[in-house]
Amino acid sequence: MANTLLEVNNLQVQFSTIDSTVTAVDGVSFSVNKGETLGVVGESGCGKSVTSMAILRLLGKTGKITQGEILFEGQDILKKSESDMCQIRGKEIAMIFQDSMTGLNPVMTIGKQLIGTITVHEKMNKKTAEKKAIDMLKKVGIPSPEQRMNEYPHQLSGGMRQRVMIAMALSCNPSLLIADEPTTALDVTIQAQIIELMKDLKKTSEAAIIIITHDLGVVAEMADRIMVMYSGQVVEYADARSIFINPLHPYTRGLLSSIPRLDKDVDVLYAIKGSVPSLQNVPKGCRFCERCQDAMEICKNKPPVLCTVGDCSVRCWKYTK
Amino acid sequence: MKKQGKSSSYLGDVFRRFKAHKLAMVGLCVIILEVLLVFLLPMIFDIDPYTSDINAFGAAPSAEHILGTDDIGRDIFARLIYGGQVSLFVGLVSTLISVAIGVPLGVIAGYYGGTFETIVMRSADVFMSFPSIILILVLVSVVGPSIFTVTLVIGIMGWTQFARLIYGNVLSVREKDYVESARAIGEKNFRIITKYILPNTFAPVLIALTFSTANAIIMESSLSFLGMGVQPPQASWGNILYDAQSITVLSQKPWLWVPPGIALVLTVLSINFFGDGVRDALDTKMKI
Repeated sequence: MANTLLEVNNLQVQFSTIDSTVTAVDGVSFSVNKGETLGVVGESGCGKSVTSMAILRLLGKTGKITQGEILFEGQDILKKSESDMCQIRGKEIAMIFQDSMTGLNPVMTIGKQLIGTITVHEKMNKKTAEKKAIDMLKKVGIPSPEQRMNEYPHQLSGGMRQRVMIAMALSCNPSLLIADEPTTALDVTIQAQIIELMKDLKKTSEAAIIIITHDLGVVAEMADRIMVMYSGQVVEYADARSIFINPLHPYTRGLLSSIPRLDKDVDVLYAIKGSVPSLQNVPKGCRFCERCQDAMEICKNKPPVLCTVGDCSVRCWKYTK
Repeated sequence: MKKQGKSSSYLGDVFRRFKAHKLAMVGLCVIILEVLLVFLLPMIFDIDPYTSDINAFGAAPSAEHILGTDDIGRDIFARLIYGGQVSLFVGLVSTLISVAIGVPLGVIAGYYGGTFETIVMRSADVFMSFPSIILILVLVSVVGPSIFTVTLVIGIMGWTQFARLIYGNVLSVREKDYVESARAIGEKNFRIITKYILPNTFAPVLIALTFSTANAIIMESSLSFLGMGVQPPQASWGNILYDAQSITVLSQKPWLWVPPGIALVLTVLSINFFGDGVRDALDTKMKI
C-alpha cells in the first residue's frame, strides 16, 4: 500500500534488569495510513507506551528492540543513525506526553521553548519563528498568546500546559503524531476540551495520529482503527466501529463493560477481576486466561495466535478454527 | 493555579524573596561595603601597608594609626585593607576555578554515564579521602608559596564538591519528562545539556558557590597563618595573624590580632548569610 505511513512488523522490546529480562512488547504488528487515527487501548503496563517509545527509539539504556522492524515511509527506523533519528523526531514523528505538569522545562518561558522547537528543524530568523509560535498557540486555543509567550510553565494551568505541549508537537507539521495518554493527567472538563482540540486538529492537519489511552471513550470519538493490547501483545485489532458494536476478545468486552453508562441503571460498575500478569512470570497459555470468563481448557496450556475473523484480528481460542 | 501580573517574572520573584531575608540583606550590605572599602580606599587615599613608621613600633591605636602599628611599625589598618584584597581575590577566583573544573566533569559524568562517570566520580572520591589541608601544604611547598599558587591549589582541590553536587542533580534532572520530551522533539545532546539540564541545576551551584568562597577565604587564611600562603611583606589576614602569635602580643597588643580576626569572621559570616538568602530565594517551593 502506497498509502501506508508507518508499518510495525513483529516488534519485540525487552528490558534487561540485573537478574532478569522482561519482554514488554511481544510480536506487535500494526500499520497506520496517512491521515488515519489509530487508537491503542489497554490497561497500565501492557506495553502501549513502550511501543510508542520504540517508534521514536527513545527506550533508554535498559530497553532494547530485539526483533521486528518499524517502517516509516518505507524506511526502517531501526537501521537509522542517531543523528538521522534526531531529524525524524519532532519533524516527522512528534509526541505528546502524558504528564503536562512535568513535560515543559520549568526555567524557560513558553515562547522560548516553542521557538526552540521550531528552530531545531527549520532554519528561520527569530521574528518568523516567534510569529509561528504565536500562531501555534492560537491554533491550540490559548487566549492572548502574545502574553503567554513570556510566561513560565508554572504560571499556566494544567490544561493550558497540555495545549502548549500539543502546540510544540505540531509546530513542525509532523506526518505522525503520537499522543501518549494526552488527557490522563487532566480533569474531566479539560479532558473534553483537549479531545475536542485533537478532533479539530485531525480535521485540519493531515497528520496521522496514534492515540494511546486506557479510556475507550477517548478513542471512540477519534480513532478509525483500534488496537487492544494486553500484556505486551495485540489481542484485538479492528475497525473502531466493529470494536464497539461487536467486540470479539473477552478482554475488549470487559473493557467496554467497565465504562460507566448513563442509559442503563446499574448498581455496581463492572470490573475485570484480577490484574495484568507480571511480565517476569508470563502464563504458559493465554495471558488473559486467569481473568477470562470464557476460559477453556486449551487456554491454560497453549498460547493462542492472532487469527482473522472478518476484518478483525483477534487472539483468542474461541475464534480459532 | 496562581496567576499574577507582569511583575511576577521569575527573577522578580527571586529578588523579592531575597529582600525578605533580613540576614541575607545584612550580609550583602557588609560584602558590598567591604568590597568598596578594600578596593576603592587605596585608590582614593594614600595607604601604605609596607613602610615602617620609625616613630611607632607596635604602637597602640591613635589618631595617626587608627588601628595601631605592628612590631616593625607598619600600619595595621593599611595591612587590613590590602589583606582584604587578597582574601576576596583568593576566595572568588579559586571558587571559579573549582566551578570551571567541577561543573563540566559532573555534567558529563551524570549525563552520559559509563566509563567516564566511573573515572570522574571515583577520582572525586580519591580526592575527597585526602585531608585537603595536608595535600595543599605539600603542593604549596613543592611549587612555592604565593597568592597564585594558593589560589590555584585551593581551586583545584575544590572541584570535587561541585562535580558531586552537579552530578547528583543531573542524575535526577536527566530523567525528568521535559528532557524526554526534548529528545522527542529532536534536540541533540549538546542542546539538551545547555538548555534543559544546566539551567535546572543552576540554583544549587550558585548556593554552593557562596559557601565555597567563604571556605576558600578561611583556607587561604589558614595557609597564611601556617606560613604557607601569602608571603610577607605582602599582607593577608592570615599572615597578620601569623605575626601575632606570641603570648605578649596576644595578651598586650590586641590591636594586632583582633581586627583581622573580626574582618575574617565578618566576611565569612556575611557570605554564608548571603548564601542562605540565595538558597531561599531560588527555592521556588517557598513562596513568601
